[in-house]
Amino acid sequence: MRRQLAARLVQSLVVVFIVTTISFIVIRLAPGDPFSYESSRITPEVRAHWRAQFGYDRPIPEQFVRYVVSAAHGQFGYSFSMHEPVSTALAQSVPRTLLLTGVSLGLSFLLGLVIGVTQAARRGSWFDRASGAVLLLFYSLPDFWLALMALLGFAYWWPVLPAGGIVDPVLHEYMSGGAAAVDRLRHLILPALTLTLLTAAAVARYQRTAMLEILPSDYIRTARAKGVPERQVIWRHALRTALTPLITLLGLTLPVLLGGALFVEKVFSWPGMGMIAADAIGSRDYDLVTATVIVGSLLVVAGNLLADLLQMAVDPRVRE
Amino acid sequence: MRFPILLLGSAVLLSACTSNETARTSAGPDGGTLVIDVPGDAGTLFPPLVSEEVGRMITDQLFDRLAEIDSSLDVIGDKGFAPRLAKSWTWAPDSMSIAFSIDPKARWHDGKPVTAADVRYTFHAFTDPKLSSPSMTLLSNIDSVSTRDSLTAVFWFKKHTPTEFYDVAYQLVIIPEHVYGAVPFDKLATSDIVRHPVGTGRFRFVRWDAGSRIELISDTANYRGRAKVDRVIYTPASPATEMTQVLTGDADFMEAFPSDQVAKLDSSSVARPIVMPLLAYTYMAMNMRDPAAKGRPHPIFSDVRVRRALSMAVDRVGMLHNVFGNNGSLGHGPFAATLAFADTTLPVPPYDTAAAAALLDSAGWRRPAAGLVRQKNGRPLRFTLLVPSSSLPRRRYAVLIQEQLRRIGAQVDIDELDPQTLNPRMVNGNFDAVLNLFGTDPAVGGTEQAWATSGIGPMGQNHTHYSNPVVDALLDSASGSFDPAKSNAYARRAFATIIADAPAIWLYDWTNVNAINRRITTATMRADEWWANLADWSIPADKRIARDRIGLAAAAP
Repeated sequence: MRRQLAARLVQSLVVVFIVTTISFIVIRLAPGDPFSYESSRITPEVRAHWRAQFGYDRPIPEQFVRYVVSAAHGQFGYSFSMHEPVSTALAQSVPRTLLLTGVSLGLSFLLGLVIGVTQAARRGSWFDRASGAVLLLFYSLPDFWLALMALLGFAYWWPVLPAGGIVDPVLHEYMSGGAAAVDRLRHLILPALTLTLLTAAAVARYQRTAMLEILPSDYIRTARAKGVPERQVIWRHALRTALTPLITLLGLTLPVLLGGALFVEKVFSWPGMGMIAADAIGSRDYDLVTATVIVGSLLVVAGNLLADLLQMAVDPRVRE
Repeated sequence: MRFPILLLGSAVLLSACTSNETARTSAGPDGGTLVIDVPGDAGTLFPPLVSEEVGRMITDQLFDRLAEIDSSLDVIGDKGFAPRLAKSWTWAPDSMSIAFSIDPKARWHDGKPVTAADVRYTFHAFTDPKLSSPSMTLLSNIDSVSTRDSLTAVFWFKKHTPTEFYDVAYQLVIIPEHVYGAVPFDKLATSDIVRHPVGTGRFRFVRWDAGSRIELISDTANYRGRAKVDRVIYTPASPATEMTQVLTGDADFMEAFPSDQVAKLDSSSVARPIVMPLLAYTYMAMNMRDPAAKGRPHPIFSDVRVRRALSMAVDRVGMLHNVFGNNGSLGHGPFAATLAFADTTLPVPPYDTAAAAALLDSAGWRRPAAGLVRQKNGRPLRFTLLVPSSSLPRRRYAVLIQEQLRRIGAQVDIDELDPQTLNPRMVNGNFDAVLNLFGTDPAVGGTEQAWATSGIGPMGQNHTHYSNPVVDALLDSASGSFDPAKSNAYARRAFATIIADAPAIWLYDWTNVNAINRRITTATMRADEWWANLADWSIPADKRIARDRIGLAAAAP
């Protein structure tokens, strides 16, 4: 078990390093640089001075070695689009993204699980067919489109929720603890709901399939024969076994959610890692792009590692 | 067990997001709160390094210039300027120096008095190569700054020009030496100190939550009197969020409301439109040099007959209505109509497709058969048009131009690029044609940058490589004339010559439709900076809403 864990850790670090290297090179090979933005006032000399000041005029391999050395010391460079150290920018934005994706992950698994189990238990019923069609619809929708529709529906046509931001920019600071929490929750609903609906569909379909494989099992038939109530058969006996595949899905969903957060955060002006990454790519903010890729890949491999560990913990066959 | 853990995790994340947002009490006198949506975060709040609009609109509230230009935007001499940080100024008899007397009442926001040494330090900061201010070259005519006494700063010029006062008053935003002076110039750009600006403006800085908001409050002890509203909050938002917030009242102001959505503003009971002509114009620039071999003339655009024919083949008025409805402003030439020396009566090549086709025929570009692309010596009349993907109006114009030029036998390939990619290609001359927006200075120098021969090369903005000695001479005379009437006459003759040479198709002047909440009363808006008089915007007491009643006392930094 320990050897397996150590091997997975090493694999994960290699993956992070490769992803970092690729993103480091690709963003620098893209046309333009942090100082090539349109401005009639900035002379080429000034731009060249800035490039030299931050070492962007050096060959890419030299820049890479410098970056790796400083990253190893915990320094991820300076963000030109945010005018602060990258570590400071990430310290503010990562918790916001974790909050959004964490809530969405929890809600999508809860919703997907309930729907998937109910669908399996009522296979072939109108609920199974109707919910399957609705979930397929959400599963097929592009994330930015659903986000825009949610914005239009609940912030403009029926303005019951705020259109963007993480809190009310003015009044939040003057609210009592409870009101401030409600304010934050109101700002969280639309982006979290968008991400939830997009991923809940996949979870439900996965869960339904897993349940349908379990329900014909002998031990389920035995439980029914012994007179165990159907609700207990489904939610206690069958679900426990059918949950194992969901753990794998947990690891796969994290990168999907982080990718979705990039668009959803942008639409709802949620100043998390996805939004600053999108802006950083547009402004060729090299250090910030690379750092967000590092953090993103770390989160993804950590999620996968956690899923593997959980799999090992609950399924003896995986351990062997 | 798992649910409480989830709750605990969420609570930790919620608190992490709230960590620097300490609660304060809401009390104090009313005045109102302005929430201004901006398209992105400020690049910097350190005036010498500000190069983008959001940074400028905020630093202009926090800092003062020595004198402020009025809405006439008259840049010759000092008639168009009003005292600001300098309560008066005295010209030397030979006009080679100007002595500015600092208002003795002026104080920095930390309470320290403003001195002539601050002015001298400001000049050094803006011109030191180690700091590399984007404004450095605009101050090249200023030789030095000396201090006659603690409240008198003297600017010495290399040569006497009509715009030397403008060079000082418009380009230099005065910053405090005692705040920034301790940090070497080459370290200032990344120093934490520039994130906490201390100025003399009628608003003072409170906080900057990167990517989230910037808050300013009225400086009640200001030497020019407090700002009329208590507080301004700038929030970066996506276009969709900006639009929704301003229509629902969550935000009070949004610059450049989407042109295809203006009808929503007209029918809104919450927000109203403000049409703002700006100091910028948009055109389809045609490169005179071959991008494949820059020493050679462009195979298509080097011929003035082709350029004029293409100009005549597009319906500029029709395109304007198509893209902007009734809110557009037609381009009249290489100038914005808001400039003091603009002339909107100059004749532009008329829309005449038959004449355009005849002109192309006479230039040797003929159609092999009806409906086919014209050719000359086996080369098709085909070129690439670069368009910034960030501009919806220009993307629409590109499609309309493509279709109209197709009808006269020219093939246009549209290449949409993000600004970071497009700009280097434009600067390096790697393009056939580009839909460019040029934001110009109020002075003739802005026109010289874009259309004079001196503007060709790395220091200028003449990316088309257009060159005409007559235009150069006329613009030189215009910028060197001390008589505004003569200066304007020279400039207009230069414009007429450029228009006749047709190095570009003049499409539209940049007119923003800004959205503003109906409860707000604005002050005069200048074409170069709509925010110039923001401190005089007000919210009548009977129209104030919850966020207007927070007061000032609670917002002390």
